[in-house]
Amino acid sequence: MSRHTIKVIVNGQAEELEVPAHRLLSELLRDDLHLIGTKRGCEAGICGACSVHVDGRVVKSCLMLAIHVDGCEVQTVEGLAQAGQLHPLQESFMTCGGLQCGYCTPGMLMTAKALLAENPHPTEAQVRQGLSGNLCRCTGYNGIVDAILEVAEARHGA
Amino acid sequence: MREFDYHQPATLAEASRMLADFGDGARVIAGGTALVLALRQRMLSPAHLVSVADVEALRGIAWSEGSGLRIGALTSHSEVARSAIVQQRYPMLAAMASRIADSQIRNQGTIGGNLCYADPATDPPGCLMALDAQVVLASRRGERVLAVEDFLVDYYTTALEPDELLLELRLPSPAVGSDGRYARLLRTAADHRPLVNVAIGVHRQGSTCTEARIVVGASTPVPMRIPNAEARLVGHAVTRELAAEVAAIVAQDVVALSDQRGGEAYRRQMAQVVTRRTLEDLFGLDAE
Repeated sequence: MSRHTIKVIVNGQAEELEVPAHRLLSELLRDDLHLIGTKRGCEAGICGACSVHVDGRVVKSCLMLAIHVDGCEVQTVEGLAQAGQLHPLQESFMTCGGLQCGYCTPGMLMTAKALLAENPHPTEAQVRQGLSGNLCRCTGYNGIVDAILEVAEARHGA
Repeated sequence: MREFDYHQPATLAEASRMLADFGDGARVIAGGTALVLALRQRMLSPAHLVSVADVEALRGIAWSEGSGLRIGALTSHSEVARSAIVQQRYPMLAAMASRIADSQIRNQGTIGGNLCYADPATDPPGCLMALDAQVVLASRRGERVLAVEDFLVDYYTTALEPDELLLELRLPSPAVGSDGRYARLLRTAADHRPLVNVAIGVHRQGSTCTEARIVVGASTPVPMRIPNAEARLVGHAVTRELAAEVAAIVAQDVVALSDQRGGEAYRRQMAQVVTRRTLEDLFGLDAE
């Protein structure tokens, strides 16, 4: 089993770690860096609870080897709030009831952020389509969709 | 996941040599969406993983009128979907790529990785066959070019030799009058693995179809063309009646598999429905 030294910027902070070749990105984040906001759900690439950003693109960290983020920038849910201020999506998920148990929320937030970066004016259908890689077993999705649309409208004046 | 050694060669020649040295004990990793899952589930347990992430020759999308489209094997599905030239010249390919699995998988997974893994229940292979795509395979021994339909041999099996890598895809320049559609049936809106998919590429003059490629996939070990259906379509103005007739030929000729996701008869019926709807959409035949 080979071991590798990787350099990665996580939520703005430079890290250098030695990892075994089979380390997953989800394990690197939770077990090595103790960033436990990123959740392990199905661990089979279906539920999306482990979604994080790598170089600005949303990915499933349970399907990515840690070595593959060598030289990359990673953002997790812990990186959304800036200077003690919650991200607008985090505020909106609270006010719209976009969560119940909260387990899917970190992944939902990261997917939602990527979705709005790619398409700042999504329709409701586009939001629902964009969330197809993230499962929520509590809310029935309506609160989540409302929260994302609200941020889009607030930014661009409905 | 069982342990393995990880290698990241910088060039195609180096990667090819490693693959030759390691033989059956090695797997190539690109985006990893399929392979990491198979490793985690211990369906595969290679001693060596050879990453092609640093092999620049596998990247990029390029177009020219004379030679058509070149897509590097490491191009992600979202890069294919977002490419202006793909959207403009190959809208069927762009539309297919924009609907694969979900946004995360489209960002991670690559079009070359998809073809090499040869999972039948995915979107790209049939669509690429209908577009008459070719693959370029490369090793230290040189390059060879195969049609996608010759590259895909069977369930999870391709024509790749142990030391070969998929370098790029090539698509011919679309001729005037060419058009196409890719459509699929998902059992539920949240499902990501098509139960059946149909890709149709045509040339037409006015309302007359002059050339057709009809490819059915996801319900077959590898996507298959349906020559009788293609022949029935060519030389005629396409009406709703003709579309229904062609779809019935597809249902009759497709060699559908049967498993817990769908029985053979059901898959045939769905192939018929998706073919008819796709033809109606392609030829602007409004359903009543």
